[in-house]
Amino acid sequence: MRIKVAGVGLTKFGELWDKSLLDLGLEASLDAIKDSGIDKNTIDAVFVGNMLIGKIAGQDHLGPVISSSLGLNCASFRIEGACASGGLAVHLSLQGILAGTYKNVLVVGAEKMTDAPSSQITWALMGASSSKERKAGLTFPALYALMAQAHMQKYGTTREHLAHVSVKNHYHASLNKKAHYPYEITAEKVLNSSLISYPITLFDSSPITDGAGAVILSGDDSSKGVYITGSAVASDTIDLANRSSLTELKATQLAAKAALKQAGAEISDIKVCEVHDCFTIAEIMAMEDLGFCPKGEGGKYITKGHTRLGGKLPVNTSGGLKACGHPVGATGVKQIIEITEQLRKNAGSRQVKDANIGLTQNVGGTGATVVVHVLQI
Amino acid sequence: MSSPVTVWRHHKNIKNYLGQTGKIIVWTKVYIAPAGFEHEAPYPVAIVQFKDGMRMPLQLVEYNEKHLKPNQKIITVVRKLGKVKLDEVIEYGIKAKPI
Repeated sequence: MRIKVAGVGLTKFGELWDKSLLDLGLEASLDAIKDSGIDKNTIDAVFVGNMLIGKIAGQDHLGPVISSSLGLNCASFRIEGACASGGLAVHLSLQGILAGTYKNVLVVGAEKMTDAPSSQITWALMGASSSKERKAGLTFPALYALMAQAHMQKYGTTREHLAHVSVKNHYHASLNKKAHYPYEITAEKVLNSSLISYPITLFDSSPITDGAGAVILSGDDSSKGVYITGSAVASDTIDLANRSSLTELKATQLAAKAALKQAGAEISDIKVCEVHDCFTIAEIMAMEDLGFCPKGEGGKYITKGHTRLGGKLPVNTSGGLKACGHPVGATGVKQIIEITEQLRKNAGSRQVKDANIGLTQNVGGTGATVVVHVLQI
Repeated sequence: MSSPVTVWRHHKNIKNYLGQTGKIIVWTKVYIAPAGFEHEAPYPVAIVQFKDGMRMPLQLVEYNEKHLKPNQKIITVVRKLGKVKLDEVIEYGIKAKPI
């Protein structure tokens, strides 16, 4: 696989009360089109990743909402896969290019979350869980808290290990003007913040965020640039309880193996990556499931500073979901954009030296859907 | 709020899970609850494993703090799920009680 990331566009992430979902989607799309240098009329299809807008604003049929606002009459789709909606939209658009159906596609990930009260957002997000989990009064922080408890019991992971994920990602976000929370915090602040679901605190959790990202992907591989060389999706049970393990995401392992094989790369080749740190325990498990460290060692690996800028494998240089923000349908596209900027050497003070190959991991629910991409120059 | 027919269909399955014994695998305590459960927060929820090996997430009732630990034995009981308004159908379901 060799599909060019021809253009990228990203809005500011945050509480953007003066902008609608359409405003955000169009801003990102027009920036991506401008960055690519292509005529927008050569776009053959538009793929929109979004999870919540139908539930919280009654707006379904989102593909044509975006494409028609751009003055396009091409094929357009809305893709939903919980918090992996953006990554799935990228993956599916690649299949259209590989099949020869499309040459240039626009992929938009967009979410408008702060128009609704947090209780409505919590309810809407639980649509990505099982009915048994909803009837038990579980929330997504609680589901990840159960995984954190299992990891602590089995491997001795501590709340301090969790806190260091948040501290590192806030440091990275402090270097990113587009981040929702561009400032540093301390481990003490994380540990002393209010409990959401034991042992997950407020500062172990990604925020409710508005934002959008867009990329132009092209089958034209005649020029230099950043290319997607691997793209894979794997799935698992929607219900966490009956998984073979509560301390790993099998779908991450399967998707990563397939994407790396397509790219002809090994995990040890990866120089920079964006992973799905919706809660701090998720980044610890991602490090282990992707194979960057042995199972059970993720907390220590991060606490030692290996994944901080300047370390041997910088992770979530954007600030991740935790500090850059998590507009759920946009996250998978934003991850592609951050790695593209790293490989283009456009990441400014967040730049990873010698970044020539990167990876993204985008998770839906508690790992029922996982999308992994590999990007190279 | 579930529709009356959804509640009716769900209630027919309660007997399949009632009175089963098992143990806690992992637990958490929910402080920020979803809509309909706010009045019960904070409340514990556990993944429990029954004797046949099947696992299920269940809210814990009639517990005290010493029960919040792996391998704690439980039995399933019927309890009201969430909060309902006066004109809504009351939904019942399975919860777990430490024994």
